[in-house]
Parts: sequence; structure tokens; C-alpha cells
Amino acid sequence: PVQVSSHFPARPVCAAANSNTSLKSASASWTALNLYHKNLPNIETLHQMKFLGLEEFFDDPGNWGEKSVKSGDSWNIKQLRGKSSEDLHKLWYVLLKEKNMLLTLEQESKRQRKPMPSPERLEKVETSMKNIDLVVREREIALRLLQTGHEKPVPGEWRHDFLGRTFWYSYKEWPIPWHLNKKHKKKRFYYLPHVNHFIRLRLEKALRKRARQQNMERTRRKILEKKFPDIAVKSQSQ
Amino acid sequence: MLAVRPGVPQPEDTVQFRVSMEMTKLDIRNYLERIYNVPVAAVRTRIQYGANNKRNHRNQRVKKPDYKVAYVQLGQGQTFQFPNLFPEKEQDAETRSFDDFRDKYMEKEKQKQEGDPRRGGVPDWFGL
Repeated sequence: PVQVSSHFPARPVCAAANSNTSLKSASASWTALNLYHKNLPNIETLHQMKFLGLEEFFDDPGNWGEKSVKSGDSWNIKQLRGKSSEDLHKLWYVLLKEKNMLLTLEQESKRQRKPMPSPERLEKVETSMKNIDLVVREREIALRLLQTGHEKPVPGEWRHDFLGRTFWYSYKEWPIPWHLNKKHKKKRFYYLPHVNHFIRLRLEKALRKRARQQNMERTRRKILEKKFPDIAVKSQSQ
Repeated sequence: MLAVRPGVPQPEDTVQFRVSMEMTKLDIRNYLERIYNVPVAAVRTRIQYGANNKRNHRNQRVKKPDYKVAYVQLGQGQTFQFPNLFPEKEQDAETRSFDDFRDKYMEKEKQKQEGDPRRGGVPDWFGL
């Protein structure tokens, strides 16, 4: 039976693939069923090992037909940064299988014309996977900086396009130099003076949008503070 | 990748999946064998074209997305039947009481619609 490991600080109990159970104990089976925080007898694990792995495309049979299934929060980036790369690798595959299971459930619910129980699980799994990707990218960049001193895998530079916008141009490998490449020479990495007017208009639009967003945030906060005065007190004390 | 219920009855050893458009037969075989530990004997794929006939409120055509379907035949003589994921379950006390409440309310509404029983259910439009 899998139990919440004492390594991790007390957090709200997450169910299914979002659990905090020790991933080291899951080396034998990556099945999402085993990582439930419910206590499963050991016999069932052997039973699963013998049977088809296709069962992993479906949820625990006890949850079939339920109106809603409980699940914990998605993995936070801060939580994931504390995990080892091996643990992240295992968690990625656990989340992948969970996502496949949820997608099968979604399609089947569309087919049977019934509501899918707790569709928010899909969102949580997707955000967790995105967060894992971000953490792995951060680690890659850190390693590359230490080893080579470069942040990006491919060298590049900031350039302007013919509309005056600034973008990151990454160098590509070509068999011939750029001044012999007819198609590449037609691309313009500069802009003419008449574009300055439009750059100014674009800037004004962006500033207006930002001002609008800030004003909306301020008014929303004021409405909330009116309704719940204790929030206002908190922000003042901070 | 998701498992789908086949629209047309398939042989017992065949499982139907919807996969990403870029996956090949070899990719699907490796995916299932390594991640799910499923013995795969054969994989056949096809691309299902999503229709472009429906129109939205602006009379623009709305395209249904294309998707790739994979028919995987299991090895080692295994069979697979797509399960029923929405079996009828016992309703708990809350839903049962809600259903009773709703039925009673509908009954009351129906009685209001009917005519006076003393006059034989005839609507009030007739007579005095």
C-alpha cells in the first residue's frame, strides 16, 4: 500500500496522478492506479501486472458512472523544482497516462451523450505537464550556462522586421552564405522612415491597453474591498 | 492517444485509438509496448477527414478537426472489449429526494392545467 511519504511537507492531499506519494516506490509499476492515496492490497498490484495494460486507459472501475471524481490540485512549479530529474521523468509519464485516460473518458462521454465527470482534471494535468516542461527547461539553461556560458542552444540576435517590430532571430544552418541566397535577400531586416508613424500608433495602442487593464484591476479590487472589508485591512498591514 | 469505442464492430483482438496526426505505425507500436506494456501484433492507421459543411451564425464554414485512427491488434491472443464507462448507479438520498420533489411539482402543475373535476375536466371556456 502506497502512503504519503514523510519527506514532503504537509500539503492538501492530492489524489490520482497529482498525488504527493513517494515516486521512488512507484518504480515497479507506473500505473496511475497504484499512485492513488487509497490503500490498495498488494494482491491487486500483481493482478494488474498480469492483465492488459489497456486498463490504464480507463479510470478505477469504482469511479465509472459517478457524477464527479475527487482530484487534488495541479503540481505547482515551486513543488516541482524540489524534485529530482528522475522523479520528474516518472511524473511526466504518470501525467501522460492520466491525460490519455481523461481524453478517452471525454470522447466516450461525447459518444454516450452524457456529461463527463469532473472535466477540470484535464486542465490540472495539462498545467502540471507544462510546469514540468518549464522546470526542465530552466535546469537545461542553468547547465548550459555553467558548461558553455551561453543561455540559448542556438545563437541569435534581436532584429527588426519591415514593420518595425523587434523579434529574436535565431541563426540557421545554410549550405551557402546569406549574400548568395536570393530568397533570403528578399527578406528585409530593416524598416523605412515612413514606418515610424505606425510604430508610434502601435505603442499608443499598447499603452492604452495596459492603462485599461490597470484601471480595471483597481476598480475590481475596490469593489471587493467594499464587499469584504477584511481584505483591505490585510493589504494595508502588508 | 485515446482509446475509442469502435463505430463498426471490430474483431475481438482489435483496439481502436485516436492518435496524433504525426504518429506512425512504428511510433504507435513502441508507445504502447513501452509505456503501457501492451503486446502489439499489428497496427493499421488511417486519417479521418473532418467535415467542413457546418456553418456558424456568420455563415462561415466551421471545420471539424482531422484526426488519425489506429487499429491495433493485440498479440499473445489477448482480447479487448470496450467497457461501459457510464453504468447505472444507485442514486443517493439527495438526488432521489430531488427527483421526488420535481415529480410532485410537475403533478401540481398538471392539476392546475386541468379543468374543474366537478364539471368533468372540461375547460372553463365552455359554459357560464
